[in-house]
This record gives sequence, C-alpha cells and structure tokens, in this order.
Amino acid sequence: MSLLAPERPITNPFLPYLATVKGVTQLTPDIKLFNLELDDPEVREGFDYRPGQFAFVSAFGVGEAPFGLVSLPHWKAGVEFALRRVGTVTRALHDLEPGAKVGVRGPYGNYFPLEDYRGKNILIIGGGIGMAPLRPVIRTILERRPDYGDLTIINGARSPQDLVFADEFDSWATAPRTRLELTVDRGDDNWSGQVALIPSVVQELKPSPANAVAILCGPPIMIKFTLARLKELCFADAQIVTTLEAKMKCGMGRCMRCNIGDKFVCADGPVFTFEQISHLLEPF
Amino acid sequence: MSQLISRSDLTAWINALLAEYTVIAPTKVDSLALYQPVKRADDIFMDFGITALSPKEWLFPPTETLFTITTQDGTMKLEAPPLDGKNLIFAIRPCDARGFRLLDKVFLAPPADTHYAQRRQNTTLIGLACSKALPQCFCTSVGGAPNDASDVDVLLTEVEEGYLVNIVTEKGQAAVAQAKLIEKDVTPPSPPNLKPVSTEGIVEATLRAYNDDYWERLADRCTHCNVCAFVCPACYCFDVRDHINQGKTERLRCWDSCQAPGFTRVAGGYTPRPTKGARLRQRFGHKLLYYPQQYGDLLCVGCGRCIASCPVNIDIREVMEDLQKLGVKSVSARA
Repeated sequence: MSLLAPERPITNPFLPYLATVKGVTQLTPDIKLFNLELDDPEVREGFDYRPGQFAFVSAFGVGEAPFGLVSLPHWKAGVEFALRRVGTVTRALHDLEPGAKVGVRGPYGNYFPLEDYRGKNILIIGGGIGMAPLRPVIRTILERRPDYGDLTIINGARSPQDLVFADEFDSWATAPRTRLELTVDRGDDNWSGQVALIPSVVQELKPSPANAVAILCGPPIMIKFTLARLKELCFADAQIVTTLEAKMKCGMGRCMRCNIGDKFVCADGPVFTFEQISHLLEPF
Repeated sequence: MSQLISRSDLTAWINALLAEYTVIAPTKVDSLALYQPVKRADDIFMDFGITALSPKEWLFPPTETLFTITTQDGTMKLEAPPLDGKNLIFAIRPCDARGFRLLDKVFLAPPADTHYAQRRQNTTLIGLACSKALPQCFCTSVGGAPNDASDVDVLLTEVEEGYLVNIVTEKGQAAVAQAKLIEKDVTPPSPPNLKPVSTEGIVEATLRAYNDDYWERLADRCTHCNVCAFVCPACYCFDVRDHINQGKTERLRCWDSCQAPGFTRVAGGYTPRPTKGARLRQRFGHKLLYYPQQYGDLLCVGCGRCIASCPVNIDIREVMEDLQKLGVKSVSARA
C-alpha cells in the first residue's frame, strides 16, 4: 500500500492549517462531531484524503492530537472529526463553539484500499468510537454501491445512547444488499434491539469468508475476541483489516511514540491487515 | 605535506571566526565541560576529554519554539521564529559529529524538519581528533574512529607544533579562510587504541531476543531517570506541547525519553509499553534493530556517555554482548 504524499504548500511540517469550527453535533453523551472549514480557500480545495487517513487537530494553547478523518473530501462540506471527550486536547475541543479557530495538520498515514475491495463482500465491525473511522468507508461503499458485493455492518456500543452516527442508520439499513446489525452491552427502556457483545453477534451471524473482507475498529478487547470469532469462521489474517491508534507527536515517523517494534502506526499504518499485525513485535 | 596551525595562530583564528560566526565550543561550567557559545578564544577549554552533553542541542535544542500563536484584531496568526545566524561548533569530537549524520537521516528525510535543516545548513563543524581514549569509548566498534574526518568540515589533530588542519568540505574551506596555515611535513600521531566490542549480527540477535525475559531482568535496576537519552548524541525522541507564558502562546518541541513511564500513554490511560522492561527494549530495540532496519547504521556512536552516566551501570556494550549470547541459545522470536 503506498503512502499518499500530499504536496504541502507550507514548509514547516509542524505548522497546521488554520480552520474554523462550522458545526458541532452531539453524537453521544461524550462524543461530538466537529465540522471544520479550512480558512485558506486554496488549502481547502487541495486538502485531499482517503478513508482511514488521519490528521492532527490543535486546540491552541492546549495541544494537538491525531484523529481519524470521518468525512470524504468530495462532499466539499468541510473536514469532519468525531471526538470522544477523554483527554486534555479533546476536553478543550469539546468546549469550543462554532466560530472558534483550531488547527488541522495532515492528512497522514495510509488508507483502506477500497479500490482493491471492489467486487468483494464487505463486513464492517465497529465498537464505540471505533465506528468513527469506518463511517467514510461505509459512505464510500454506499456511494458506489454497484461496485461492491454484500455489505454487512455490525455496530456496537455500551448503551443505545453511545451508538455513533445514529441519524445515518436508516440510510445505511435501507441501501441495497446492505444489512445493519446494532447491538449494545446494556439496553434501556426504549431499546428493542440486540443486547449482546460484538463477538457474539459475529458468532450468531456467521458471515462467510468467501470473497470477503472484514474491517474492524474498536477497543482492544473487542478486537481480540472478534478476531478469534472471525478466525473460527475461517477468515484468513489477510482478509481482516483494522486501523490502529497510538500516542503520536509528529505523524512523520520521528517522535518514537507510535512505533510497534519496527513499524510506525503513523507512517506504515494506521491501516493494517492482521497478516501484517501478526508480525508486529510489540502488543498494540 | 600537511597543513598546520600553531597554537598562537589558532587563537587568532578563533578570534577572527567570532566576527563571522557564533562559536560554540567546549567550556568549563563548574565541574562540567559543556559546549557553549564563547566570546573569546580564551574561554575555550581544550583539555576536555569528552563533554558532559554532546553538542546535539545546538542543532536539536532541548526546547524550541516551533511557532507562536497570536491573535490581532480577531485574526489568528501562526509564525515560526526566525532561526539563528551562522553557527560554528569548534572542537567537536568525531563521535558527536557522527551523531549528526544519524540525526540527518531522520530529520532531513522528506518532509524535512525545517528547524533542524536550517540549523544544519548554517552550522560549520570543526572537529578535534581524540588523542586519548576514555574507558567508556568504543567508537571504532560502531563505524567511527578517534580521527574520523567524514562527518566534520575541518578536522584538527593536535601535534607538538600545534594542530594539523584537514579541510574536508567547502564549508570548512570557508571557515579556514582566515587561518594562518603553514605547510609542514608532520606525521599525524596514531589514534588511541580502543577495546573492540563485537556488534556482529547484533540486529538479528536483538530480533531473536525480542520476547526473552532478558529485558525485564535488565530493567529491574533501571530507575527510568532518562539520563541515557539526554546525554546521547543520537537519541531524538521528542514531545510537542503548547505553552502559554505571559499571554504568549507557543507550540514547543522538547527532548523526551522513551524511558518515561507515560511516554506512550494514550488518553483514557492505555499504555502500550507499560513496564520498564518494555521501555528498555524500546531503547535498545531502536538503537540496535529499528533504526538499523530503517536507515542502515546502528543508532549509537560509541561515545560512552550513557555508560558513564547511568546510575545503575547499564552498559550498552554488555547489552550487546548479552543479546549475542541469547541469540545463540534461544529462538523465541515470533517471526
């Protein structure tokens, strides 16, 4: 998989683009969707990226951190990030309102090779905020529906109110040859759907590995058990793809925080097949 | 015939350089020898053996401003600071100069680190060959030599009559323009002998020993004081953080150490390298396995500073020897 090497009009690679917060949508009690507009029209036009790539978002005076891009560039509707309020940078960003200035540095990393998946059945499994980087994958497939085989989406969260992108569920579920399975760890009075952990849903559903690719993103414990279920169903490591997260300070393979053995999440990833990951030296 | 400069002409030359360059040279600061900007040739402390810190900080400072963030009339501006003028590092040891070669591979690869690249371009290195070896020195085992001229612009070698002047680059040529050199037939002294350390097959040995409990055993005595990273001419782990001081907001880059417990901790608390053993494996893994795989050389110049400053005597020479032995008896890697 080749790296996208964006021609950056600025010379200092640490200098972010200035951007304005255009919209803030509360997706769950602790996750907000930020829609950002890059201030420089030329930069805005040239800011190209693919599903799976990430960028650093700056809360000036607090710091910057890397986040998956959850929009698609051809929408021409701003750059979007779904941020869970969990650390110092995300806390500061959650306090921002439309009109506020932030920084965007990127895009970085590789991407899901969706071109290579044409004609295949796609299984997408997202847990909690792990669903965020999979949204542009789902939307790409839905936009080019005839290019792909069956699409199965398994989206799980701790509770019904923790499911992200709920307002898009109808459009996903009603698309041709598309199945959406929602599941939660704990239901509530209004929840009539499944109450089960993601690995159990996979076990129930028994997706076929024939001509299929499984794309996973979620907490490490979910990945571990889901991976075991998929392997029981005879998915090969090369058919299972995920995107990894790590502490990062540069995005250029230099700060030595995100390396897992000799592989850098920022520069070699963040998208890896399990065939690649099984060769990684350290736990991830 | 060699080019020679007498001791008195060396002083005159340095004083001439001071008009054109910021001259950074070994000085005595209390009981330590450190590279500092000097105002006159007399400030230079030539009998320094090895300085406490390498001159790495003059190309890659412990803390530097990447840019400042200002808001004026509602408009936000990000501005990178202007970088220093012409610097000259005087009497850099060949091992420390080799450190810059190793840093170049990281910071000058595209996209080039503009801060490092500009300082590198504007810095002239005047090397000083080592006339004696210290007990911790092992440069010859990791690709260097006490009289290695390949990473400096000029190499000086002390002889009875003064210093031999070996001009290596055009930058060096420019720097010696004001030096009074004389042609003389002087035999350069033979470099000191260093006890060799075997590095044969060290990349493979480190890989093979990857999952061995060796790392946790070694780490038992590590106090994660981080001194090994800070004295190293080749370590380059860094942190990027924002700082607000008297209303001025800056984004800073600071030296960091992979030995710090929170180095890889993500928001929410997960730490991929949770133990001292995992972190020591990162340190030696980076020097002996990852960097060599990426760039070809070991990430070590054999200056021995980490050996001399470690409070619990963790010695990279012994680590290499241990790994080579482990590599022979165990095949525990997951490869």
